[in-house]
Amino acid sequence: MPLLSVNNLVTEFDTDEGRVRAVDNVSFSAEAGKTLGIVGESGCGKSVTALSIMRLLPQPMGQIAGGSVMLEDVDLTQLSIPEMERIRGGRIGMVFQEPMTALNPVHTIGRQLTEVILLHKDISSDAAIREGVEILDRVGIPSPDIRMTEYPHQLSGGMRQRVVIAMALACKPDVLIADEPTTALDVTIQAQILELISELQADMGMTVLLITHDLGVIAETCDDVVVMYAGKVAETGGVFDIFDHPAHPYTRGLLASIPRLDTPPKSKLSVIEGMVPGLLDLPDGCRFQNRCPHVEAVCESRVPELETISDGHHAACLRWKELS
Amino acid sequence: MSLLSVRDLNMHFPVKEGILLRAQKFNRAVDGVSFDIQPGETLGLVGESGCGKSTLGRCISRLYRPTSGSIEFEGQDITNLKGKALMPFRQDIQMIFQDPMESLNSRHTVGDILAEPFVVQKIGDKQSRAKRVAELLDIVGLPARSASRYPFEFSGGQRQRIGIARAIALNPKLVICDEPVSALDVSIQSQILNLLVDLQKEFNLAYLFIAHDLAVVKHISDRIAIMYLGRIVEESIGDRIYREPKHPYTKSLISAIPIADPHQKAQRQVLTGDVPSPINPPSGCRFHPRCPQVMDQCKFESPNLRLMDERRIACHLEDG
Repeated sequence: MPLLSVNNLVTEFDTDEGRVRAVDNVSFSAEAGKTLGIVGESGCGKSVTALSIMRLLPQPMGQIAGGSVMLEDVDLTQLSIPEMERIRGGRIGMVFQEPMTALNPVHTIGRQLTEVILLHKDISSDAAIREGVEILDRVGIPSPDIRMTEYPHQLSGGMRQRVVIAMALACKPDVLIADEPTTALDVTIQAQILELISELQADMGMTVLLITHDLGVIAETCDDVVVMYAGKVAETGGVFDIFDHPAHPYTRGLLASIPRLDTPPKSKLSVIEGMVPGLLDLPDGCRFQNRCPHVEAVCESRVPELETISDGHHAACLRWKELS
Repeated sequence: MSLLSVRDLNMHFPVKEGILLRAQKFNRAVDGVSFDIQPGETLGLVGESGCGKSTLGRCISRLYRPTSGSIEFEGQDITNLKGKALMPFRQDIQMIFQDPMESLNSRHTVGDILAEPFVVQKIGDKQSRAKRVAELLDIVGLPARSASRYPFEFSGGQRQRIGIARAIALNPKLVICDEPVSALDVSIQSQILNLLVDLQKEFNLAYLFIAHDLAVVKHISDRIAIMYLGRIVEESIGDRIYREPKHPYTKSLISAIPIADPHQKAQRQVLTGDVPSPINPPSGCRFHPRCPQVMDQCKFESPNLRLMDERRIACHLEDG
């Protein structure tokens, strides 16, 4: 049984121009101890999916309008607020993109870190401080006892992200949700943080849900991949399925459009023409139709469902058979 | 003759401290940088945040006045020019910025934004400017009706096209691109990179292409310079710097890039620690506290950037 599974999730936002569906009928599941990557461009709904799982949607505009989020046999969408508070930071930890906004600038690292521990564990504050120092040391922060007394602005970007990871891991969660954890960091620091996450994962046997727009990060860290486009799952499968045999034209386009270190300089990169449609004026049929090089009349009327390509590999394209 | 030739350029920002706010220390953002750019060529400049790459770009476009050193454009020294004397060079050297939302005035229409360079330089009249604006929009692939719209009505990629149209409006010879695609999604990024390559061929533009993404820089550059803490540590032909990197910093930078191929799990040479502060840089080689191949000499003696075998490199390992 998968540890975390999202089933037919629908998340809607009330905006001035009407109600938009940011996440539309999204399903996927993450196996225990594995890394699942969600990849897509800005506005595809990947972060909203993560916020829906954590029930952290902006209120009152955002709401889960359907579907379920199962953590083993508990449906997170049905939990009361206090029950959900025990899950957050307890069984599910979360790391956000920008560590400076995730940390409170007027409290010390120690205070923020022990707050998490004291909230979830019935221990004395001295013991919580000891645990805090231990976990800072575990995430590779030098002289952790001194860092406990410092403020976020006194740390570098990479160190701050380590602190955020320490906070997420303080209560040894079963699932870590990392939303673009390295996007704001330099490549050398990104390499450090990704290595740290996979080390900790091997150590603690966590399931990691990694949300990113970077296909390189996906290829290096993930076991399974969900490709999202305009609020829907375009393709899902094992990392080798997705990179070796992409079935959806969007996945193929994405993979072809990234410059690689071995493409000849100044050669034409293949592009996905046009732009993602706005959520308020989505076309009938397939949402990728206006940018798809293989569009046909049927794509404009029929909504593609996820079809099985091989065991564990699914794509939502009406023409995948002809195109393969 | 080189289009641009920079010699021993320094940009030291005073750090004001104490009650009297006297500059006791300096942030050596750019510290002794020399390089050339030929007409129609792209020099890629790569480095981590805080290495001084953007400051260097701003010195060359003379948004900053460098502390010392020289910048020659087509043989003329522009290092200390001011006001009117600088005006002709403003036509020849243009800039594209990272965030097109911040670099476009949100209260002006796209037509006004694109006509402004002509107004500032007192070129043409209203009709001829409008005609040129329409041409520019066509060149960068935007519909002509965009002229009457405002920047917020466009997506990130389209806004960057507007920024590019403004940069090429006055037929410049050198365009400084400061992280032009970093804020864009991959599918849009490739559209903009293709546009930049096409424009270079059509108008014989030279680019100084500043970015932190080595794969992007390598794609568009003829030569690449790697910067670390205000200094160039290695410079060579783009392909070569990736195939046979020499400087330990270049090596670890390349090995840190995630490769979009699950079969190649990179053998990482993960650098420990952070980039030190340019206010109080390490002695000797500035990379020595993080260098996996550090020697005693590196701690005291700063390596010079030396030309060998058509590449420049600043590392004691190469002293031989």
